[in-house]
Amino acid sequence: MWDTYIIIPMTNVLLFIYDIIGHNFGIAIILFTMLIRAVTWPLTAQQLKGTQGMQELQKDKEWLGIQKKYKDDKEKLAQEQMRIYKERGINPFGSCLPTLIQFPIIIGLYQSIIRSLASTPLSLLNFSRNLYPFLDVTEIVPLNSQFLWMDLGRPESLDIFGFAFPTLAVIVVITSYIQSKLMTPPANPGDQSAAMGNMMSIYMPFLMGYFAMTFASGLALYFITSNVLGVAQYAMMGRANWSNLIPGKK
Amino acid sequence: MKSKKLLVIMMAVMLSILLSGCSASAMNANSWSGLSADTEKAYLANGSLVYAISLDNGSVVWQYPADKADTKEAYFAAPVLTEDGQLLLASAGTAHSLVSLNPVTGVMNWSFGDSDGIWIASPIAVDETIYAPNTDGKLYAFDLNGNFLWAKHLGGPLWSQPLVDGDFLYINSLDHNLYAFDIAKEDVAWAAKLSGAAPGSPLLGADGTLYSGSFGAKVEAVNSATHSTKWDFATAGWVWDALALDGESLYVGDLDGNFYAIDAANGDLIWGPVKPNGTILGAPLVTDDFIVIGTESGTAYAYEHDGSTLWQQVIGGQLYSAPVQGGELILFSPMENDSILVALDNEGKQVWQFTPEN
Repeated sequence: MWDTYIIIPMTNVLLFIYDIIGHNFGIAIILFTMLIRAVTWPLTAQQLKGTQGMQELQKDKEWLGIQKKYKDDKEKLAQEQMRIYKERGINPFGSCLPTLIQFPIIIGLYQSIIRSLASTPLSLLNFSRNLYPFLDVTEIVPLNSQFLWMDLGRPESLDIFGFAFPTLAVIVVITSYIQSKLMTPPANPGDQSAAMGNMMSIYMPFLMGYFAMTFASGLALYFITSNVLGVAQYAMMGRANWSNLIPGKK
Repeated sequence: MKSKKLLVIMMAVMLSILLSGCSASAMNANSWSGLSADTEKAYLANGSLVYAISLDNGSVVWQYPADKADTKEAYFAAPVLTEDGQLLLASAGTAHSLVSLNPVTGVMNWSFGDSDGIWIASPIAVDETIYAPNTDGKLYAFDLNGNFLWAKHLGGPLWSQPLVDGDFLYINSLDHNLYAFDIAKEDVAWAAKLSGAAPGSPLLGADGTLYSGSFGAKVEAVNSATHSTKWDFATAGWVWDALALDGESLYVGDLDGNFYAIDAANGDLIWGPVKPNGTILGAPLVTDDFIVIGTESGTAYAYEHDGSTLWQQVIGGQLYSAPVQGGELILFSPMENDSILVALDNEGKQVWQFTPEN
């Protein structure tokens, strides 16, 4: 099922893009990421709406009132919170969904990259079975895994003064950090969700950087493109908090 | 707050495991078997180990490495016996070594580990030189003591053993070309465009015609004098390995599970396609009396020269590599099977099988 609905379609879309843009796998990954971003645009919008709604609730008198009133009755507090969510049209999980959607995409894309850049007999044989009949790959197999200085099927590093410097991983950390900071709304003192957001904005970039350093560089290219597009998306929607990037500014 | 931190860490760990799992499954894809034989022993490359197995009874004569498998090596290519008494191994593992062994004892003579890519193709020894095609697109040359001589870039990953004919080596490439390499000039003399990636070796006819199958789902005949295509024959599926030639007939199987006999002179279909029970990858084996193939479904088939089935024998596993003749026996090296080497007689009856101790 995972193969049929996630990996094989992704692989074929990647190959289709690769074929029509002149056999450049790096550009294919960038365009594929743009496609994913476009498809998940409604979810991103929902995420922003959810984040903002939750943020506004933290300042809402009624919300603060029920927190105080039912602080010793968790069940009643949960009921009242759900009522307010419903009345204001807020989905408390709306901000999590796009993040969760990223997981199957990351895993699926990674598998698609590895499968498409088949470099052993068995992987090439398996790859030949993942192709949709309408896609004529005779001309494009084997795929060119070189993009700029990278082999997209392998982890990337640049030799700088004899030291293997993980350039893409560093860029992934920086762009992930910028994106998560721009997404984080201005925090109120004692605001738990903002504190959680701050924590995520520190952990997640390093986690993504670790993946970028460890796995195929095609995945790092996806991370970077996705982050840059995310920043552009937030900016276009007027939701980017540029002030968060200034150290010390709350 | 602590539980949220824990959630983030757990998510990270889960994603790491899932991605690592993907890598692990990709590594599992790093298995294949390569088989060759002389009149006394079969030489089986299987994962990180290479076995010399007695043709008399299927017992192990030696294994390499003798004590413990080196997980950095993965031997896909069929071991090659040279005239000066070496057994050459080519590894597709992370260490990707080219190794020379003593075929009697299994003791290493020399090894080379400085190629840019991995070795999927078997090397070939011609006179005093060993030629080894690599996935980095280069043809490496060594003297018989394993000293590196030179490496020439041909283009595209090279997955198949070169064919030698006098002054030239003929090498198929995944870059859709058949290369003719001038041995004396140590350079490419000419290249002929094929209809697709060609992971199998070319075949040379008595009249100088070169035959290749490819992922273009075609068998193509190239005139080695004019470098032009004489004819092509369309197959239903991709052609993975080399063809087999018997007099005027060419035999070829495809990934769609079709087996054909083609007239080598003009590319006309003689008979077929016959449909055994699965995908055909390995090159057919032509014996004096019949033609043998193996299928992905694990069955060996013997066909008469007129295309009728002489016998079929269920072996098990997946028969990806080409069958090999060893003395009077027909040898198969199944994958995903307990027994990694199975010997049949000329009537298709199993004589012995070799199951490694684990």
